[in-house]
Amino acid sequence: MKTLSLTARISLLFAVAASLVLLTTGYFLTQVVDAHFEEGDRHELNGKLELIQNLFMHASSQKDLDLLPQQLDDALVGHHGLAVVVTDATGEIWFATSGADFPQTLLNECQAQPAGCTTGTLQQWIQSGMNYRGMAMSMTIGNGKPYTVAVALNIQHHIVFMDKFRSVLALAIALAALATAGLGWIATRWGLSPLRQVTHMVAGISAERLADRLSATGLPTELKPLATAFNAMLARLDDSFRRLSEFSSDIAHELRTPISNLMTQAQVALSSARNKDEYKEVLYSSLEEYERMAQMVGDMLYLAQTDNRLLKPGLEKVDLAHEIQDLFDYFDAWAEEHAVSLIQTGSATVSGDRLMLRRALSNLISNAIRHTPPGQTVRVSLGRHGDAVTVSVENPGTEIPAEHLTKLFDRFYRVDPSRQRKGDGAGLGLAIVKSIVDAHGGSITVTSYDQKTRFQITLPALAK
Amino acid sequence: MKILIVEDEPKTGDYLKQGLTEAGFVTDLARDGWDGLELAKAEHYDLMILDVMLPGINGWQVLEGVRRAGIAMPVLFLTARDQVEDRVKGLELGADGYLVKPFAFAELLARVRSLVRRGHAGLEPAALKTADLELDLLRRRATRAGRKIELTAKEFALLELFLRRKGEVLPRSLIASQVWDMNFDSDTNVIDVAVRRLRAKIDEGFESKLIHTVRGMGYVLETLPEEAAP
Repeated sequence: MKTLSLTARISLLFAVAASLVLLTTGYFLTQVVDAHFEEGDRHELNGKLELIQNLFMHASSQKDLDLLPQQLDDALVGHHGLAVVVTDATGEIWFATSGADFPQTLLNECQAQPAGCTTGTLQQWIQSGMNYRGMAMSMTIGNGKPYTVAVALNIQHHIVFMDKFRSVLALAIALAALATAGLGWIATRWGLSPLRQVTHMVAGISAERLADRLSATGLPTELKPLATAFNAMLARLDDSFRRLSEFSSDIAHELRTPISNLMTQAQVALSSARNKDEYKEVLYSSLEEYERMAQMVGDMLYLAQTDNRLLKPGLEKVDLAHEIQDLFDYFDAWAEEHAVSLIQTGSATVSGDRLMLRRALSNLISNAIRHTPPGQTVRVSLGRHGDAVTVSVENPGTEIPAEHLTKLFDRFYRVDPSRQRKGDGAGLGLAIVKSIVDAHGGSITVTSYDQKTRFQITLPALAK
Repeated sequence: MKILIVEDEPKTGDYLKQGLTEAGFVTDLARDGWDGLELAKAEHYDLMILDVMLPGINGWQVLEGVRRAGIAMPVLFLTARDQVEDRVKGLELGADGYLVKPFAFAELLARVRSLVRRGHAGLEPAALKTADLELDLLRRRATRAGRKIELTAKEFALLELFLRRKGEVLPRSLIASQVWDMNFDSDTNVIDVAVRRLRAKIDEGFESKLIHTVRGMGYVLETLPEEAAP
């Protein structure tokens, strides 16, 4: 199904709403005018009935009665369209104005129930193409004889007026609806023009121009959040894009050195005849390079998997104090060789993946041991602050300059580029830590001052 | 001990065959899944090393065929894809091990030996012995030439591993995983330090050395008359 354009929708909505409002107004207007006419008619008819009643009341003798028709004629003269009929108790017409042709029912009802007829109910009927409104009333004249008096008005002119009124109203409503639809269209076109402007701007942004931003100035208030959100998205995209391309170039760079070493080595080895031990030496040396590359590729894959949530942290209770003790056990001999002691304080339990957390902690601890001067201590402390568990790994040693701190978790980032080949790994250790912590919904920070460097992991605590 | 290698990558296949043959195994090499399945059905092997990505039918299908034919030999998978689902799938289908490329050859050798040994498991010994070194597993005591050696719990576990795998080259990653339960590569030389310390305790002051470094591969416990391993 084709979706209607916004403009069409809004115009249509305008037209429908306007028609509805106007129709309702028209309906009430008609009702009011109609009621007004009816009220007028009732008033007039009542007046006539009162007049007739008055005449009847004063006619006490037969002579008066004989005079009555003449009196009635006189009283009603000049009232065009007014008809009066008087019947006696037997239903015989006693007096009638010319042209008066009442529906028998009106009279019959009143004869049948004279008591109910004293107030007179307004009735309406159509007779020979004309509309009438009338009422009947029973009354007694001076001598006590009951009569039924019916008066009626020809209201054809009202009907004609109402018909005309209605058709004019309908025309007005139709025109107004059309006009609002048109106005709605114009208003929408005008109102949505900033949107088109934004679309135009967005369309101009390509992968090569991710640094471009939408300008929020000149945009209506409603669109400003959109522009802001879009800009934020662009910033994230730009960042990811930049990281990705940096990462690829980093990989290429990182692989270039060992490959170049291997090639040179093999070429030099083959360039002249050598003895068995020399060839062996070349192979051993190559093996070291291969191992380094294999570890780097393995680390990169691991990173890619944690980053893309391919490695989902399994949810099990992990006793961090226990894990750290195990890791201390593992690093014990190595730390002792560096004359570094290891201290752990506090305890905490989190929910997560034991292997992943162990790997993250292992990277932090080995990193700390490596940078601690001999004779000093690496401290790992666990704590709980509200609904978060903190793990901090602190080592004394040369401070890390502030400009490096934020980049420390970037892949392949090394504070000292020359340390690369000294067995410090590929520079992925801390990136892996961050990736694992992120996968657990935690965060990691690093501070370095007073000859101390401190990594702090914050993880969501187990719900109590 | 006969091993069937199913590997389509020419170099890998050749080197696996050469390496395992030189390690004392009899090997057959199949270059695709169909050949592999045929060979597995036709002859008796103690172990099958199976690549996952193969032309024809893949490693999983080969394994299914093998198990359907009622052959219960241990199967070790080799794969370049390290995905948890793959691992689970392989194990569900009845694989006995899983090794991700690139792997250390010593690691493969250690895994192969332990799988082959599993097929011929004997009684759990109460003590391990080699040359004049004795390990009392019940009382957790180590002695060499009758002299007691003081070992930490981890050192004892490390020595136990060496003795159980006497003559096998143990790669560092395997030692880390078996003794410390650290199943990832560490960029430190932790294992070297630990082995060096153990060595100092058991070999220092003795004429014949037991623990040897195999350069580029790992460590081995052997009673060799000469100083260096091959």
